[in-house]
Amino acid sequence: MNFSLLLQSLISGLLMGGIYALLGVGFSLTWGVLRVINIAHASFGILAAYGAYWALTLLHVDPVLSLLPIVGLLFFMGMGIHKAIIQPITRAREIMVASMVLTFGLAIILENTMLVIWSPDPRVLTPSYAGRAILLGDIGIPMTHLVGFGLSLVGILLISLFLHKTHIGKAVQATWQEPEGAALVGIDLHRVSRIAFGLAISAAGAGGIAMAMMYAFDPAMHNLWLIFVFLVVIVGGVGSVFGTALAGLLIGIITGLCMAWVPYHWINAITFGILMIVLLIRPHGIFRTGV
Amino acid sequence: MLKGEGIYKSFGGLMALKGVDFHLRRGEVLGMIGPNGSGKTTLFNIISGLYRPDSGAVYLERRRIDGLKPYQITQLGIGRTFQIVRPLAHLTVLENVAIGVLYGRDGIHQMRRAKARAEELLEFTGLAEKQDQPAGRLPLADRKRLELARALATRPSVLLLDEVFAGLNQVEMEEAIDLVTRIRVEFGVTIFMIEHVMKAIMQACHRILALHHGQKIAEGTPQEVAGHPDVIEAYLGSTYADRL
Amino acid sequence: MRSIWPGRITGGWIVSVIILCSLGILPLLSPKVYFLSLLYMVFLYVVLAESWNLIGGFAGYLSFGHVAFFGIGAYTTAFLMSTFHLPVASVLPISLLGGLVSAAVALVVGYPCLRLRGPYFAVITLCFAFVVQILVENLPFFGGVEGLWLTPTKETVAFQRALYYELMMGLMVVVLLVVRGIEHSRLGAGLIAIREDEDVAQCLGIPAPRIKLLAFVLSAFFPGVAGGFHACYLTYISPVIVFDVMISILIVLMTLLGGGGSWAGALLGAVSLSFVNEFLTTFVRAEIARILYGMLFIGVILFLPNGLWEFIRNASFKRAHAER
Repeated sequence: MNFSLLLQSLISGLLMGGIYALLGVGFSLTWGVLRVINIAHASFGILAAYGAYWALTLLHVDPVLSLLPIVGLLFFMGMGIHKAIIQPITRAREIMVASMVLTFGLAIILENTMLVIWSPDPRVLTPSYAGRAILLGDIGIPMTHLVGFGLSLVGILLISLFLHKTHIGKAVQATWQEPEGAALVGIDLHRVSRIAFGLAISAAGAGGIAMAMMYAFDPAMHNLWLIFVFLVVIVGGVGSVFGTALAGLLIGIITGLCMAWVPYHWINAITFGILMIVLLIRPHGIFRTGV
Repeated sequence: MLKGEGIYKSFGGLMALKGVDFHLRRGEVLGMIGPNGSGKTTLFNIISGLYRPDSGAVYLERRRIDGLKPYQITQLGIGRTFQIVRPLAHLTVLENVAIGVLYGRDGIHQMRRAKARAEELLEFTGLAEKQDQPAGRLPLADRKRLELARALATRPSVLLLDEVFAGLNQVEMEEAIDLVTRIRVEFGVTIFMIEHVMKAIMQACHRILALHHGQKIAEGTPQEVAGHPDVIEAYLGSTYADRL
Repeated sequence: MRSIWPGRITGGWIVSVIILCSLGILPLLSPKVYFLSLLYMVFLYVVLAESWNLIGGFAGYLSFGHVAFFGIGAYTTAFLMSTFHLPVASVLPISLLGGLVSAAVALVVGYPCLRLRGPYFAVITLCFAFVVQILVENLPFFGGVEGLWLTPTKETVAFQRALYYELMMGLMVVVLLVVRGIEHSRLGAGLIAIREDEDVAQCLGIPAPRIKLLAFVLSAFFPGVAGGFHACYLTYISPVIVFDVMISILIVLMTLLGGGGSWAGALLGAVSLSFVNEFLTTFVRAEIARILYGMLFIGVILFLPNGLWEFIRNASFKRAHAER
C-alpha cells in the first residue's frame, strides 16, 4: 500500500471534515434547539457560494473577504424567513415533520431560483492563491483547502462561544429546554429563535463558501451537501456542537479514504449506506451514551 | 395477580428505579404515592411495556410479561391511562374509544359492533353527549374521563391509572372517584393507581405503596402508610403530617 | 370531520360508476393521443399518491423515497420483458411480479426502518431511494445510466396507448377500492391511531410494528405494478426517468395537498396536481414550475395543514348547519 497516498487522503479528508462540520453545525443547532429540521440548510450554503463567486468574478474580491458581508446578509435573511414561515408553525404538534416539509419547499424554491440566475453549469471559486499548495515531502496541501479549514475552525469556535458565553446564546438554549420558564423570566421566545435561525443560516453560508473553494458546485449540489450534513449531525448527536465537529472530522477522514480507494461512482452509495446504518443502530449519535 | 420483583431502571446513568417489588391482589385498589421524580410513572411504563427494565421481572398471573411489546401487554389485559392526557386529538371521542374496542383484549373486529360497544362505554363514563367532538378539544375533566373510557375499552383485568384526579376541581374529583369505584365494581378490574391527591388516595385505595428516589419506602393500609415516618418525611412534609 | 366509519353520500356509488364507465370507454371513441396520455398520467399519479397515502397519510410515516418502489417495479418488468422478449400479453403478470418484487424489498427495508420515527424515518427512506438508484446505475445487467430498451412489439401505437390506459385505470380503481376499504376498517383505524400517537396506540393494543409494515408493503406493491406498466408504456427506461426525485416530491405533495388519511383527499390532490403539473410543464419552464411547487409546499403547511379535502368538507359542513 502506498503510504504517502494514505497520508494524503487522510489529510485532505480531515480538512474536508472541518468543512462538513461547519456546514452541519447550524443544522444541528436548529434541529436540536429549535426542533426545526431545515432541509434548505445546504441551499443557503450554495447561495453564499454563488454570492462569493459573483464577488470574485465581478468585483475581484477574495472569498475570505466577501464572506463577511454575505454571512451578514444571510443572517438577516434567516431571521426574515424564520419570522415569515417558521414562527407560524412553532405551535404545531409535529413541528419537526412540518418544518421538514416546509423547508423542503424552501429548498426547491432556492435551488430553482439559483438555476434561473446562474444556470446548472458547475462553478469553482478560484481566488488568486488557488493554484498554490504547501508541500510536505510527497504530500501537497492546496492553499484553498487550508483556508477553508481555517474558516471552519473559526466559525465553529465562534458559534460555540456564542452559545456558551453570551447572554442570548444561553437564552437560546434555556428557551427551548423550558419554554414556559423562559417566558416567565422575560425571554422573547420568537426573537431568540429568530436569532438562532439566522445564525444557523450564516454558518451554512460560511460552510458553503469554504466548500466552494475546494470543489465545484451547482444549484442542485445542495442535495448531496445536505446528505453529508445529515450524516455529520446524526453521527455527532443532534444539538451538540462538539459532537458535530468531531463527527465532521471522522466522516471527512472516511470519505477521504474512500476517494482514494473506492471507484468514484460508488462513493455516494457508501455515504448513504453509512448514514442508513448509523440511523438504524445509533440514531442519537455515536458519541452519546445512554438514552 | 400482578407482581413485580427487583425492578431496576436507569436513564443515562440516572437511576430511576432501584429494585422495586410490588404485588397487586385480585380485586383490590392499590395506590402508589411518592414525590415527583420518585419513579412512579417509570414503573407504570415498565409494566405497560413502554420501557424495558434493566433487571427484574413483572408477572401477570404467573406469566412473565416484562420485555413484551406494549400492545401484547394490553392484549393480555393490562390497560392504562396517561398522566399527561394523550387523546388521539384529531379523532372523535367515539373513535378514540372504538379503537380500544377494536384492538384490545378479545377485540371486537367488526366496525359497527365496535361502535356500539364504544357508545356503551361513553354512556358509562358520561361522555355520550360529546361522542362526536374531536378529542383534542375536550376540557381537562372530560379528557380524563376519555382516558378511562379508552383504557376500559381494551377490556383490562388490571387498570393502571396515572394521576386521573390531578387538576380536577372538587366536584369533578368527587365524580371521578365515584367513576373509578363504579369501574372496579361493574367491570371487576383490579386497579393500580398513582395519585397525589391525598383525599382521593385515602378514600379509594385498600393499600398504598410509597416510592422515594426509586425505592419502596413503605407499604400497607392508607393509615399505616400515611403515618409512616419515612413517608411523612419524604413526601408529605410537615404540612400534611400536621393535618392528618 | 373525517370518520373511521363510512359516511353516506347519496348516489356516490352511481356517480363513481358513471365516471369510471365513461373514462373506460373513452379509448373506443378514438380521442387525441395527447388526451389519452394526459389521463394515463393522472391515473398513474393517483395510484402513486393513494399508495403513499397508506404509509404517509394514514400511519404518518413520511416516506421521502417512495419513487424507489416505482423504479424497482419498472426495472423488474423492463428487465424481464427485454431479456426474454416477452409479448404484450405478458405485461399484466410481469408487472404484478414487479409489484411483488417492490413489496418484497419494502418488507426487508421496512422491517428495520419503521422502528425509526418522524424525521429519522424520512431521512432513511430518502437515502434508500438514492442507494437503489446508484445500485441500478452501476449494476451492468440493468444497462447503467443508459437504461433499458424494451423489445418493440407488432401492435399499433394507438392500440398500445389504449391498452396501457385501460391497465392503469384498472389499477387505479383497485387501489382506490383498497384504500377506501382500509379507511373504514380496523386496519385503517389502527394506522390513524399510530399517526396520532404511537405510544398510546400500542397501549390500546394496536400491534404497531406489524400493521405499519403491512401498510408499507402495500404502499410499495401498487407503485411497483404501476412502474411495470409505465416501463412498457414508455418502451424505454433509465434511472433518471424512473428514480426521479421529483416523482417522490410530487407524490408527497399531492397527498398532503389533498389531505392524507382519506382516500378522497389523496385522490383530489393527485388529480388536481397532475393537471397543474401538466399545465406547468407545457407552458412554463421547469425551474419556474418547481418554484411554484416549492411555494405550494409552504402554503399547504401554513394554510391547509389538514389538506384541501378536509377544508372543503368542513366548509360544506358549516354551510349545511348554517342553513338549518
